[in-house]
Amino acid sequence: MAELRGSFGDQPHHILTSEFGTTDLHKLSVYESKGGYTALRKALLDMAPADITNEVKTSGLRGRGGAGFATGTKWSFINRDAPGPKYVVVNADESEPGTAKDRYIMENCPHMVVEGILIAAYAVGANQAWVYIRGEYDEPHRMLTEAIAEARAKGYIGPRPFGKDFPLDIRLYRGHGAYICGEETALLESLEGKRAQPRSRPPFPAVKGAWGRPTLLNNVETLATVPAIINMGGAEYAKLGTAKNPGTRLLTVSGNVRKPGVYEVEIGKTFRHVIMELAGGPPEGRKVKVFWPGGSSAPVLPESMLDMTTDAEALAAAKSMGGSGGVIVMDDSHCIVKAAHRLLQFYAHESCGKCTPCRIGQDWAVRTYERILAGEGSQVELDTLQRVSDGLQNGRCLCGLGDSGGWVIDSTLRHFREEYEDHALRHTCNVGKVAVSA
Amino acid sequence: MKLSTHVLEEIKELPAKYPQPRSAVMPALDLAQEELGYLTPETMTEVAEALHLDPGYVEGVATFYTLFHLEPIGKHRFYVCTNLSCMIRGAYEIVDHVKRQIGVERSDQVSADGLFSFEEVECLGACEYAPMMRLDHRYHYDLTAEKIDQLIAERRAPVPSPRRGEGQGEGLKRSPTPLTPTLSPKGEREKKPRAPRKKKSDG
Repeated sequence: MAELRGSFGDQPHHILTSEFGTTDLHKLSVYESKGGYTALRKALLDMAPADITNEVKTSGLRGRGGAGFATGTKWSFINRDAPGPKYVVVNADESEPGTAKDRYIMENCPHMVVEGILIAAYAVGANQAWVYIRGEYDEPHRMLTEAIAEARAKGYIGPRPFGKDFPLDIRLYRGHGAYICGEETALLESLEGKRAQPRSRPPFPAVKGAWGRPTLLNNVETLATVPAIINMGGAEYAKLGTAKNPGTRLLTVSGNVRKPGVYEVEIGKTFRHVIMELAGGPPEGRKVKVFWPGGSSAPVLPESMLDMTTDAEALAAAKSMGGSGGVIVMDDSHCIVKAAHRLLQFYAHESCGKCTPCRIGQDWAVRTYERILAGEGSQVELDTLQRVSDGLQNGRCLCGLGDSGGWVIDSTLRHFREEYEDHALRHTCNVGKVAVSA
Repeated sequence: MKLSTHVLEEIKELPAKYPQPRSAVMPALDLAQEELGYLTPETMTEVAEALHLDPGYVEGVATFYTLFHLEPIGKHRFYVCTNLSCMIRGAYEIVDHVKRQIGVERSDQVSADGLFSFEEVECLGACEYAPMMRLDHRYHYDLTAEKIDQLIAERRAPVPSPRRGEGQGEGLKRSPTPLTPTLSPKGEREKKPRAPRKKKSDG
């Protein structure tokens, strides 16, 4: 395996990664020697399903995939007593630019994911779980495949895990290259063998999800956190982080930093701590210009906002979000207009085509950026960008992909107006400028 | 190019593995692409017939996802991430170098020896190792021009040398079986151009 980059090992406030770096942690025997599968045993033998869900509610855990919905609440939406099959579907389609933490977990500790899935499945009354894993993740797929085989051989997956009369099964399904599959209803469409276009809600997946059945959808990191919550207790977990956004989460720090990596951070620490201390700050002689706090879809924050904390409430107040925890750092040697152009190319490419504002708008923005970067811009182009951005946002599209492109335009325009005007009005690029407003 | 009988048999067994048979369409296209290298309309029709689906439906699925190839690709395809985290660490320089070294300009071209093609792709989820790429079902990290040269040289060598690099190590060994679809030997592609796709209206 590649050299691990980030924070791991026995350090304060490491919940998920405290054993990362241990030789052969991906093997069941090693995972068990570190206390693995005790949470599953406890959940199956000592806890009623509703108690498990309540424990997760008490922990205050919020989904780590991007939307940040309360996990325990989501679990409680599934009617455990409804007749017929129910499913847990695991979103392992990690594709948000700047986010690598699910890969990191699956490669290093696949059994932690497996254990979390099994606990969740028992809690919501699902006998079968499907892991939808992005097609490019060959290594994580292999690690999960092996972990599932080991757990099956041990009987943890099978008709009577730990002697409990509740059959559990986990299957893998590979994606084939489509960012939109990270959106939960698009993922379900894809799992059902269709073009991945989001569904309109209601019905919500908890009522009518995979193959028309009640379905719990959770992100890899979310489920990987569950064994720790069962072991330490929800109340203890909730002491970490902030009151409304408890716990730790894995932040992928990438871009212009000296030590890019996946860092487990207690929620509520500042981005200055994460970027400047943990990740070592920008290269020698450079300054942080801007950062995306939660994947490319999270509106940018300029250097002046490095003291922003990593919790959802603080970020929302700054018109951004914690998203997927992908912290992309760009230094003052890079042009914000070119960066925004590249991201709009991404959203245009990944638009599934279902909603007109997204299908047309992202592409329109790309063409406008092209004119600006070719030195053919004017006030018209700047106005067009703002108008397209507005047209992409605020519920005009079925899913968040539309908004995401709009947020890139809107937030970069808001914080770096002068740089846009340099390009569009004065046809120059003065890279090196810092944000003109906060 | 027809799918071999054993692949068709394998495809016919897929639907039973899923709660509903339609879910088998992507795994089936995978098997087809693994055998033939890319998906032609004829292949998609074969897959559709094996799964009792409409050929247009199967083509609709295949054209939605970027990992299904509708044109011939090289035996080794460089999937180079150029999204933001990699871009600001030199990804486009890596793309330019790959293009120069394998002698192609665009992602729909294949090197003269049939060995290589490339594609710029979106974030591959290994941003802490940027710039990075996927090649032969493996991630390659901290790319430099020298690393690219080495990877190309290893694949041009008549006897494949043991793969080196940081993508994986002990504990993660995989057999050196061919991981990319095996294409026809050099020259055969010219002899057997894929049938022109019928232009069809959308929906």
